[in-house]
Amino acid sequence: MSSPPVASSAPTRRALSGPALIGLVAAVIVAVALPVFTSGYVVYIANLLLVFVVLCLGLHIVIGETGQFSMAHAAFYGIGIYASALANRAVDLPYPVAMLFGAIVAGAVGLFIGVLALRMRDIYLALATFAFGEAMQWVFANWDSVTNGPNGLRISPARFGPIEILSDKQAYPFVLFFCLVIIGLTVAISRSRLGRSFRAVRESEVAAMAMGIDVRRARIVSFGLSAAIAGFAGGMFGLFQTFIHPDSLGFQTTILVLTMVVVGGLGSIAGAIGGAIVFGLISEVLRQAPQYQEIIYGAILILFMMYAPRGLFAFIGDRIREARHGR
Amino acid sequence: MSVNKTAAGLTLAASLLIGVAAGAQEPGITDKAIKIGIFGPLSGPNMAYGFDVVNAAKMYYDKINKEGGIHGRKIEYVVEDDRCNANDLVAAVKKLVEQENVFMLNGGSCSAAVVAAKDYVVRNKVPYLMLNASGDGALFPPTDYIFGAYSISQYAVGGAMVEFAAKQFGAKNVAYINHDDAYGAWNLEGSKKDAEVNGVKLSVESINPGINDVTAPFLKVRAANPDAILLVTYARPAALLIKKAAEMGFNKPIILSVTGTASLNQLAENVGKDALKNFYTQEVMIDSPGGAKLKPIYDMYKAAYPDLAAKPDHPQTYMPYGIPPAMSLVKALQDAGPNPTREKVLAALKTQDFDSGVMAGRMQFGPEQRAANRSTIFIKYDGTTMAPLPGVFTSRWTYQAK
Repeated sequence: MSSPPVASSAPTRRALSGPALIGLVAAVIVAVALPVFTSGYVVYIANLLLVFVVLCLGLHIVIGETGQFSMAHAAFYGIGIYASALANRAVDLPYPVAMLFGAIVAGAVGLFIGVLALRMRDIYLALATFAFGEAMQWVFANWDSVTNGPNGLRISPARFGPIEILSDKQAYPFVLFFCLVIIGLTVAISRSRLGRSFRAVRESEVAAMAMGIDVRRARIVSFGLSAAIAGFAGGMFGLFQTFIHPDSLGFQTTILVLTMVVVGGLGSIAGAIGGAIVFGLISEVLRQAPQYQEIIYGAILILFMMYAPRGLFAFIGDRIREARHGR
Repeated sequence: MSVNKTAAGLTLAASLLIGVAAGAQEPGITDKAIKIGIFGPLSGPNMAYGFDVVNAAKMYYDKINKEGGIHGRKIEYVVEDDRCNANDLVAAVKKLVEQENVFMLNGGSCSAAVVAAKDYVVRNKVPYLMLNASGDGALFPPTDYIFGAYSISQYAVGGAMVEFAAKQFGAKNVAYINHDDAYGAWNLEGSKKDAEVNGVKLSVESINPGINDVTAPFLKVRAANPDAILLVTYARPAALLIKKAAEMGFNKPIILSVTGTASLNQLAENVGKDALKNFYTQEVMIDSPGGAKLKPIYDMYKAAYPDLAAKPDHPQTYMPYGIPPAMSLVKALQDAGPNPTREKVLAALKTQDFDSGVMAGRMQFGPEQRAANRSTIFIKYDGTTMAPLPGVFTSRWTYQAK
């Protein structure tokens, strides 16, 4: 098995074109104004999508940037949810600190997995991380004294100073803010020396070593960062969701996030973000067609794999370029 | 017109206006309709737990509408798919409450998922009646807004099984195989009370629901030389264990919980008839699925869904479970009077006590009781014939605030 195909070998540094800039500004205005003109239900879906965006960005770092297979993302996400909720509940840590704590615990576990993963690659790495994910779900379900085991854990409402968050609309500005912070962080990492070393490892570990890149360090840091971001997404989840059950942290969640990243466009930050939003929305919209939703979802995936194997955004970019050149 | 008549007329007009205004303040109520939100798994791997249960609830509401509705109002329902998944269920509930503006909720077939909606429902003070989810995590400790376990509470499942083993077979040493999940923890806790009262020793073996090889747990429980084996598991481990017991020559009674199979015919095909020589299954309804006492429900289904009824294995086993929660909702609305408010409906629910004619026990709520049914019957099944045994067995476990 070779490294996964990616949308591009290097991040683009071009300034945004006019239409793209207008689109971005419009998206920001819609995102900021969303709670004003929609119901709490729509805001709940938006919150969930923003959490998925952060989860996908975490997975993007390890798979898209570094080319390492990881199937343990739901586990890191779960660690973040449980760690932040428990820290908030047990020692009454202010919620933003509890979120950071969740990210740090998940990141530390990710670093450990990164060390273990050094001797593995491709399918072996995928299997090892899959086994870790399954083991963590077992821990969530059976460590009764800490996680409340199979009964699930009630998450106390988050508190930011005097503000107690009791609704999706109250949570939304915080969720949006944290999501934008993680997007900014991911872009910064991608454009940094560290990001370049990740991509060098992705393209060829031998060539990267020849260039003096510490491949071992890059792989470990990549796992740690990816896990920390997933853990932070877990903390964000606790901002608006009041309950977590181990059933929600299994292989299905990992596959969902993996699908979002791959179909959005592997190796592209925009792809990870777009994949999360588009597939999150498709999933929600398809609930209205229960008899056919799995068929429709499957058909969409097959069509993407056939006609947009480099991902949704690369596909759209190609069509725009073709249109501009009159083809 | 006399002064008295004028005063009476004005009083009547004022009452009507107050009534309309009071009704208008409540979401989901007009002078012609009451809007309720139904949700359940209509797709995905857990669809069998809820698809026909939702259909049953809908056909009951349609029947009430044909009979004139409730105090002149028709029931208008909106249905959402919750996929038995916590995030999807919460999305469905929020959509029904905030976008569809329903008056009350009636839904959920999966216990872990319904618990996720608990805080939201309580914060927003929406009356919520579960469908067939046991939902123990949302029912205990009790809240003012959530009512359920119309089929049965998981706390009551194991307890009633221990009671049956003790009374029917005089069992003193019972092997108890449950899951290492929420279901398993809840029903074991309920079982301990009945075991204590009946002087029954429980030899417990908790297994993972995804287990593939049951040899080790079976050998462990057999080593305890039990008088009977109680299987409080889902379908797959149950089938594996029943088959294993036959292979190992175990000939004492095997009693399967209601969660253990959605189709007894399928179970017989999976394990073979020889494995069912001394086999009993728990049922929470008054009769075996499709039995004579449930005929009116099955006839109603055939009339409401002729196309579905013509398909093999339809209606699905759990179909009648949708009737008692719908009856409870209708009864609470009727008891709340011609100008229902959420608070009036909740007050009516808290004292509700009726015989559904579908479930083995009465639907009873109380000051600390939000789980309606605690009773079961048992059926002897030999792979061909379902023979309900006489008697109703009830769990003794009751909620104690910690």
